Amino acid sequence: MSGQDDRTRLAATPGIDFAHLTLRDALDLAVLIEAEAQERYEELAQQMATHDSPAPAAFFRAMAVNEAKHGAQLAERRRALFADAPRTVTRAMLWDVEAPDYDEARAFMSAHEAMRVALRAEKKAHVFFSTALPEIGDPGVEHLFTELCAEEVVHQDLVKAELAKLPPEREAGDDDFADEPNAQ
Amino acid sequence: MDATRNGHDAREYKSDLKPIWCPGCGDFGVLTALTRALANVGRPPHEIALVSGIGCSSRIPGYTTAYGFNSVHGRALPIAQGIKLANPDLLVIAAGGDGDGFSIGGGHLPHVVRRNVDLTYIVMDNQVYGLTKGQLSPTAALGTHTVTSPEGSLEAPVNPLLYVLAYGARFVAQGTPADMAGLSAILEEAIRFPGFAFVNVQSPCVTFGAPEQQLKAHKEGLKQLAKIDYDPTHRMKAMALAQTYGRELWTGVFYRDPSPPPTYDALVRERQRALAADALPRERILELFAQHDGEPGRAEA
Repeated sequence: MSGQDDRTRLAATPGIDFAHLTLRDALDLAVLIEAEAQERYEELAQQMATHDSPAPAAFFRAMAVNEAKHGAQLAERRRALFADAPRTVTRAMLWDVEAPDYDEARAFMSAHEAMRVALRAEKKAHVFFSTALPEIGDPGVEHLFTELCAEEVVHQDLVKAELAKLPPEREAGDDDFADEPNAQ
Repeated sequence: MDATRNGHDAREYKSDLKPIWCPGCGDFGVLTALTRALANVGRPPHEIALVSGIGCSSRIPGYTTAYGFNSVHGRALPIAQGIKLANPDLLVIAAGGDGDGFSIGGGHLPHVVRRNVDLTYIVMDNQVYGLTKGQLSPTAALGTHTVTSPEGSLEAPVNPLLYVLAYGARFVAQGTPADMAGLSAILEEAIRFPGFAFVNVQSPCVTFGAPEQQLKAHKEGLKQLAKIDYDPTHRMKAMALAQTYGRELWTGVFYRDPSPPPTYDALVRERQRALAADALPRERILELFAQHDGEPGRAEA
């Protein structure tokens, strides 16, 4: 993803004016981004559990816990700096910044595939923050976004490390297609 | 609180019942876009009725906290009209698939359009009967290979957009969950429109749909009306644009009547008020019933 494609990532936050974004709003935005990702991972974990795929379900559940943890850290930082000052950024202003797209999920996907979904989501978030950076006017927000950008790289490395721990991916055999759907 | 601008949160509108759609199904995005739209509109769940027919997409009422009616195949529209007329204060939404709406229930569509009942009809158009495992649906393209058309379909597809525009619909739009922000905005506008509003959502079937119909293809090929100089107040222009259905994926509001007339439900209320002066009081009607011994014409007013 680069150039024109990168710019389209900013469409994930309609209504956000990065040039005039304050640190308080930026922290609120970051918290909401984590909350959205957490919810999506929970949804994907549920989908996997419904479709008898325990390994990807467990991984997506773990990702949801991680996103919740990052969200709580950012929320704590927001409270320390701005206490209960009202929030102007809402969930209506962001769409799938770090949350994996719904069409990334597949029935009976492997743990490998689930991890690659998370990896793509972390990359997507990195592109979002790095593309927004040049638009930012406030030095405090610039610092925060630089930090978030770096964190997304760390998260990618963590997912890659988890992926490396998995046994080699098994190639599909005939039995995998035994239950191919048929007309009734 | 992750509320939208009017204090409502999209999560208020999602129920605890978890969808059993196939992972990757377009309907997940439709549900999310719809709940966001409802949060923006701001009516609480108990003031909303969501009615559907039968099919994968028709499961959607159960996944929301609104009043829900997962009804009979193809009958979402008559039931939704009945609900709106019985309780005009409810915000009524009908939803279902393209088979439910244009084949089994196709006969209801022109009538709901000409009556102009104030409700929103969302069709999740996936060009296939997914729940019954992949038969040809009315919007499937000519030549489509399915389990019931292994050599390719010989039937020309229905064009939903052209259909409803020709019937005289006053709000016609199309969206895709490949652009959830755009879809949510379209659904919000449709819900707010005073009159019958139709939204065709290209919501691919991940299990039985063709690769070129999937969300990945939508993301690469979709064209947004909001990004071009398009005036949605001209029906004939909208009809010309609607001809691209099946070849190009245009999203946005195709047509919106700039001067919508009174809705059917509003006219009914007006008629009821006009007739109220001459209407017998309830007690008198009950007396007449009591006097009536079962023979026609015996009771006297």
